[in-house]
Amino acid sequence: MTTVTSVPPSSTTRSGAARRAYALVIGLALLTVTLFASVMIGSRPTSLGDVLDVLSGTADIQVTTIVESRYPRTALGVLAGLALAVAGTLMQGVTRNALAEPGLLGINAGASASIVTATAFWGVTGNTAVMWWALPGALVAGIAVQAIGSVGSSKSQVRLVLAGAVLSAVLMAYIQAVTLSKPQVFDSYRYWVVGALGGRDFDVLQAMLPFAAAGLVLALLLGQSLNALALGDATAASLGVNPWLVRGAGLLAATVLSAAATAAVGPIAFVGLAVPHIVRAVVGVDFRWQIVFSAVAGPTLLLMADIAGRVVMRPQELMVGIVTAFVGAPALLVAVRRMRGNA
Amino acid sequence: MLTLGRTVALPVHRVALVTACALLVLTAVAAVATLSLGRLGIPLAELGSALTGGAEGKNAFVLERLRGPRLVVALGTGCALGVSGALFQSATRNPLGSPDVIGLGAGAGAGAAFAALLLPGVVPVPVGALLGAVLAMGLVYVSTGTGFRNPARLVVAGIGVAAMCTAVTQYVVYAMERDKASTLSAYVNGSLSARSWDDATTIWVVVLCTAPLVALISRRLSIGEMGDDIAQGLGAGPRNTKTYAVVLAIVLSAGAVSVAGPIAFIALTAPQISQRITRLPGPHLLLSSLTGALLLVLADLCAQQLPLFENLPVGIYTMAIGGAYLGYLLMSERRKGAL
Repeated sequence: MTTVTSVPPSSTTRSGAARRAYALVIGLALLTVTLFASVMIGSRPTSLGDVLDVLSGTADIQVTTIVESRYPRTALGVLAGLALAVAGTLMQGVTRNALAEPGLLGINAGASASIVTATAFWGVTGNTAVMWWALPGALVAGIAVQAIGSVGSSKSQVRLVLAGAVLSAVLMAYIQAVTLSKPQVFDSYRYWVVGALGGRDFDVLQAMLPFAAAGLVLALLLGQSLNALALGDATAASLGVNPWLVRGAGLLAATVLSAAATAAVGPIAFVGLAVPHIVRAVVGVDFRWQIVFSAVAGPTLLLMADIAGRVVMRPQELMVGIVTAFVGAPALLVAVRRMRGNA
Repeated sequence: MLTLGRTVALPVHRVALVTACALLVLTAVAAVATLSLGRLGIPLAELGSALTGGAEGKNAFVLERLRGPRLVVALGTGCALGVSGALFQSATRNPLGSPDVIGLGAGAGAGAAFAALLLPGVVPVPVGALLGAVLAMGLVYVSTGTGFRNPARLVVAGIGVAAMCTAVTQYVVYAMERDKASTLSAYVNGSLSARSWDDATTIWVVVLCTAPLVALISRRLSIGEMGDDIAQGLGAGPRNTKTYAVVLAIVLSAGAVSVAGPIAFIALTAPQISQRITRLPGPHLLLSSLTGALLLVLADLCAQQLPLFENLPVGIYTMAIGGAYLGYLLMSERRKGAL
């Protein structure tokens, strides 16, 4: 695969590289600002000075406690945002479908169904166990949607999304059936399904970290091959890339990432849809850059949504999953208006 | 053609007539099963006299309070949903054009949840559902930019609106006390338990009042099946016809939502199933209504009698079965590439 040196022509030009370097610096700066905002803003606001004092160890104990209580949710936001965004980028690359996203394509629903099954019937608890349980459901759902969506001659983007909606509906029926007949599971389910970063500790983060790392590494390894795949199956094959292997590995990485995020913070929609679009607009078609940028932009977006959720209904909180639905859905609707013909 | 003597000739296909009779018989069987099965059921021997007004004691209670109204609501709701789906599919000329796919149910759920949390006691939950459904449809209509004509846009817009509405519902379910949340969660899946005769009256009034209008529009719609140009040539302006049909369809679904909550996929599957049985061109409104009623009564029979999960809302059964059917439809719908 090392023979594929410069697939997208723009990636070789010096100005393109400079532009991306700028963009990366700006992206990282934005992420840093968001990180600070995330530990500053909450039901009890603290100032930037307080946060700096806490970081240098000179703040009083009360302020330190407040700020440090926001560390886990901030770190979780970074990890979940990264996972969802990279998963979305991979899926859009693999399916060549601009609407592909773990939420819309049923992967989150599969993970949810799996988790609900494990907790309801086998009494599975513990963060790592739940992560492992999320995987098979997500994987089966992802494969099923691909199978349903790609049968037949139509190459429409909507088909795949509709297949995802169908599978999600069936899985939701199952989830509702289980949760409604088991009050205990219903109780934990309704807190989990809204998609919240708050109220979780570092254990979740620890459980999620290996999965997210594995998914990210696999994604980065696939970057070059995805570039080849974007030129079409035949060209990819002539460049020594096995299209089906790349697709399979890409979907696997996307599934691991989104299943881990779902298990950790609940099903969160639209981050995986929006980030790849933003990233493509900034860095172009090279998947290596797209993946790196997604890993920066995803956390930024998710943390911004989480911060917004803390601010809008003060002193109460709107969970981040609800904020992303309310920001993401209108974005999808705007995209619909731009669709030409039957897309 | 059905002819009576020389003067009366009704344009009825024999297949349609036979199918309609068969559906009526099946529905009657399902209805009898609904009334008589189970621990509380009215024994078959006593059912005849109970229905003619001779019910006593437990039987009277079951018939008048428990299963009677529930059955009548199921029949009316099924009819309404079946016709609604047929109108939608006929107007959009797409088997997937259905109130479910484009987010009506999710909108109703959100409306119901909103009414239950923010305006408890002020706005009744069914009214909230009604408003939510209408609002969601309005949002879908506006966001497609092309009205209800382009199926691909309709589906994506519907999914977007549904996602937003589901988020509202989930938040409310999260924010409420567990028991209330559980009740609400059952309602937003579509439920027929504990229905009253008032609900039965509501849905049947909606069905019967829209029936003449539906009959009026059905002829224009069947002309529309031949294509917009031909319809224009025959003097049935396709655009107005479609709009009227969709509005009627929304009224019917909304009526169904207000008595039973958003019951999934009956509107989608009923026209499809009846069309596949009869192989008639285009969705048939009467057959769709009968199929819808049969499907819902059967689903409710499952909800009442299946031992696996007790007392689940009927909407969960229709969602599971209808979703599977929609998947099958999606796979078999390869010829036109409609989607």
